[in-house]
Amino acid sequence: MAGKSSATPTTYSPSLSGQKKKRPSFLTDSDWVRPDGRGPHQCRPAFLRTGAVNSASGSAYAEFGNTKVIVSVFGPRESKKAMMYSDTGRLNCNVSYTTFATPIRGQAPETKDLSSMLHKALEGAIILKSFPKTTVDVFALVLESGGSDLPVITTCASLALADAGIMLYDMVASVSVSCIGKNLLIDPVSEEESYQDGSLMITCMPSRNEVTQMTVTGEWSTPKIHEAMQLCLDACSKLGKIMRSCLKEAASGPQD
Amino acid sequence: MASMGGPNDLSSEMELDAFRRLFPICFHERHLLESIRPDGRALGRARDTTLMLGAVASANGSALAKIGCTTMLAAIKLEVMTPTAEAPDEGCIAIDFHMPPICSPLVRPGRPAELAPVISKQLSDTILRQGIISGMINLKDLCLVSGKAAWMAYLDIYCLDADGALFDAALLSAVAAFSHLQIPVVSFNDDGRIVLISDDNSGAMKEKEPVNKEKIKLKLNNLPFSLTCILHKNYILADPTSEEESIMETFLTVVLDSSFQLVSLNKPGGPGLAHTSSIQECITLTRQRVKEVQKILQEAISDMEVD
Repeated sequence: MAGKSSATPTTYSPSLSGQKKKRPSFLTDSDWVRPDGRGPHQCRPAFLRTGAVNSASGSAYAEFGNTKVIVSVFGPRESKKAMMYSDTGRLNCNVSYTTFATPIRGQAPETKDLSSMLHKALEGAIILKSFPKTTVDVFALVLESGGSDLPVITTCASLALADAGIMLYDMVASVSVSCIGKNLLIDPVSEEESYQDGSLMITCMPSRNEVTQMTVTGEWSTPKIHEAMQLCLDACSKLGKIMRSCLKEAASGPQD
Repeated sequence: MASMGGPNDLSSEMELDAFRRLFPICFHERHLLESIRPDGRALGRARDTTLMLGAVASANGSALAKIGCTTMLAAIKLEVMTPTAEAPDEGCIAIDFHMPPICSPLVRPGRPAELAPVISKQLSDTILRQGIISGMINLKDLCLVSGKAAWMAYLDIYCLDADGALFDAALLSAVAAFSHLQIPVVSFNDDGRIVLISDDNSGAMKEKEPVNKEKIKLKLNNLPFSLTCILHKNYILADPTSEEESIMETFLTVVLDSSFQLVSLNKPGGPGLAHTSSIQECITLTRQRVKEVQKILQEAISDMEVD
């Protein structure tokens, strides 16, 4: 690709005419109308399926609105030769984006930090002692980015790990909330994320009621944080049920 | 079956899976003797193939192609460029083939698959071949205003699941994505840049003359289709799986266009040598396959139009 881009002239993506996207200032005090017509506390419909990639040990596909993600799990397999001996297993995570994932080509976000966030979100849920000396690789590809990418990746990765038969304490479900003015919006889309004053994401193991990861960024008041956390935890437990039923369906359905 | 000698003697004493892993060549040759393959196919048959157009909402044209388990996702994004001085009335197409680590246990992040640039080049050669009659796309159709603006079509193909015959699946997804491609309605704005005109603000934009009146489809001539075969001893196996590819290493890829003209023939070395007769047989198999695939593409296009 590098060779081509130097040979070809610079290009730009044609934008929609006459529409300057700016955050409307009056929104700070009024109610935010969600672009996809959802209620503020309503998540996008989740579509989850295991076994998307045949050549992997386990895999899952997740589609939340316009956010579409595939995660493959490989291993447990031999660790890299340079790795020191370890009596617990290793987890290796990598997230990448397709070039067409974002509306404008090649504007994918930095994936190094997403990979490390994914690693930290999953680490606590995996029984690493069950595969000493070896590595489990979790690779995610974002086919289309439509907002709340990291929570969707984490949820999908956890399902793929379960599909691969990796020992887990529990599956992890992840949900984020955006704060725009006085509105709390669960499972935000890209447009909402770009206008947000603050964001809160919780990754938890619903049946153990344990949080593996929580990030809070931006401007928050204490009661707002409480409200947002409660929203996330409720949504996580519901998402956990959907994940469970997805796995049950795969196990009871016809085996290939 | 002690007659075959060697490790076959163990075949009755060993579990099937273990035999398959320990003596893969024997395992496959025993099948070939009976003119069948481990997945139940006849030697010359390709796997079930499905196509879905419009799989990527944010792209101008896209398609998902599945041949057996091999899955390819192709998407085309159109951007605007200033044409070069040598070809002021021509657009441009950039083709890239990606093998992300999700697709196969052999690909690791940071170490891109060796195969990906090879397939990328093969695809570019096949799709961008220019000729008076044979070209698939006329680059002049991508021109907006001569010397000022033309379309740059970025075609990116992602392998989501690698299970053999990657080039065939990638080419099929690329051709299908071009069949699905719609060129949007655009006009110049005051700064001389190209802007999109959406349906709802077309009234307000009436004073500006759109460059093209309505969404158009690209005119495609002579679509290329391919079939990869394995040559192993006297056998010819069409549309190999990755397991077959890893065991028997002589491949021959034939590309024919929709009127069965030969576009390319590629035998990238390998331990086996090909007789003229086996090359001819591969071409015959490809002809049959092209008919099959054309039908699948037609069905996918008409499914799209119904929706």
